[in-house]
Amino acid sequence: MKFLTIDTTTKVTALALSEDGSLVGESFLHIDKTHSERLVPMLDHLLSAAGWELSVLDFIGVIRGPGSFTGIRIGLATAQGLAQVLKIPLVGVLSLDALAWAACKRPEEVVVILDARKNEWYSASYRWNEAGQGPECFVPARAIQPQELLAELNAGRDPVWLVGDAVAKAEEAIRSFLGSKALIPPDFIRLPRGAYAVREVWRQWRQSGGAAAVTPFYIRRSEAEVNWVKKQEGLRNIP
Amino acid sequence: MKRALAEEKKDRYILGIETSCDETAAAVLKNGTELLSQVIASQIDTHQRYGGVVPEIASREHAVHFAPVVEEAMRRARLSFPQLSAVAVTYGPGLVGSLLVGVAGAKAIAYAAKVPLIGVHHLEGHIYANFLRRSDVAFPFLALLVSGGHTHLLLFEAHGRYHILGRTRDDAAGEAFDKISRTLGLGYPGGPGIEKAALTGKDTAFAFPRAMLEAGSLDFSFSGLKSAVLNTCNTAAMKGESLNTPDLAASFQQAVIDVLVRKSVLALKRTQAQTLLLAGGVAANQALRSQLARAMAALGVEFVCPEPALCTDNAAMIAVAGYYHYLAGDFAPWTLNAVPGLVLSQPCSV
Repeated sequence: MKFLTIDTTTKVTALALSEDGSLVGESFLHIDKTHSERLVPMLDHLLSAAGWELSVLDFIGVIRGPGSFTGIRIGLATAQGLAQVLKIPLVGVLSLDALAWAACKRPEEVVVILDARKNEWYSASYRWNEAGQGPECFVPARAIQPQELLAELNAGRDPVWLVGDAVAKAEEAIRSFLGSKALIPPDFIRLPRGAYAVREVWRQWRQSGGAAAVTPFYIRRSEAEVNWVKKQEGLRNIP
Repeated sequence: MKRALAEEKKDRYILGIETSCDETAAAVLKNGTELLSQVIASQIDTHQRYGGVVPEIASREHAVHFAPVVEEAMRRARLSFPQLSAVAVTYGPGLVGSLLVGVAGAKAIAYAAKVPLIGVHHLEGHIYANFLRRSDVAFPFLALLVSGGHTHLLLFEAHGRYHILGRTRDDAAGEAFDKISRTLGLGYPGGPGIEKAALTGKDTAFAFPRAMLEAGSLDFSFSGLKSAVLNTCNTAAMKGESLNTPDLAASFQQAVIDVLVRKSVLALKRTQAQTLLLAGGVAANQALRSQLARAMAALGVEFVCPEPALCTDNAAMIAVAGYYHYLAGDFAPWTLNAVPGLVLSQPCSV
């Protein structure tokens, strides 16, 4: 089974090619240019470097969030456009689940934190499952304030692995809060990678026996919706 | 020679995609004039409760509807993707998040189908809706573009080569329709409500101003007219008088039409153009269409306007504009990005 993975949910554009879950090719860009401009040229480059035609693909894996709202949509629209023409299935997975592979075989808890802006992180926690040969989620995806999450982690006794694009900016705060309990790998390990997406997509493909939902996973509602609901509740409370 | 002829006979199919605001639209066009399919998923109901289009919600809706809308357009056209000649997509102006869904999707489709990608200016699309009916319009022609965001007089010298002769200095004509409609309680968008109310009103009941600006100017201004109508309503409300809504609607609409007709006539007299093309959402207004038709007949100038359904945002017009880019070999690179503030070419004096 040959497949492509697309991840545009953070400032990293990460693409990879895989055969039966093994990594065949990978493309990683962390630069100041939009996904919209660089995605297809990167894909074209990766395919030709690997000597692959799009037509050899059996399916496409795509990260459907959480992360940048616009990034999620660019990745999904691209994956859908490709899949539509090639008439192949799509497999959607979460950015946090994919990043948990960064702590492959580590004994510690893995906490993934992604920049959610507005003083929040998207986060989920995992443990390595030796029998299942993959990370197992025990705190599912949520949006949480950094102070709150760090306090939670501080309450536990065990060391934690912290990965994700939110680590860079918060590294100092994390260290001062958690001290030696915080294990922070270098950026080439803790940022989204095509290799991680390949593992998560392959696992999802085998688990679901084919296509998996590609609905965008935003976690947060749009601000206009939140405000509208608040206003309705306010109106309801007027006696 | 034989090969050129064979090439000449080949049918061209363009998939057009439009996601610049609150409509997810796709259309398939054959040889520039035959519309094989057209699918539009409108979000009007979704945005109603917010009193206008919310960009993030619009983007989310596009992300959900994009693939099914394209699929349906291709199914109705009975074509498979590799049969396409090119994919044309609106890349601006518009809401950036909305545009990006269309641009990313269109790029992926074109790339996978191994056909060229074409970037279309949304306003150019509106004007080219006219070429669906009339592919033989002679250059140079004048285009009057009237929508919720724009009021432009443009002189086209060739496909893709145009000058702006005049434009609004404040409100767009469609914007004035929307604001007056809201005041009169005639709904959003304002065009259809005002047009309907005006049918039973007297257009001379109120003497609203026709801003012609300095002598010879081809620019427009509708904010004074808007204020005059609002003042009339407010004054009456303070006195406790009730005004006749159809009369107000008819008098307002006629004031807008008078200015649009007079400026078009002025522009035509000053150029060599023998044809006037009407375009944009306001072009659906029947009173405007019939009065422009009369004025053009008197001038001996040909008048062309799209069928009303193709005046508002749609993908057929993007496919038509895309077809002419295709003929010119004007293709976009894979780095094409959404340009929310994309402008028409700079003004030039005639």
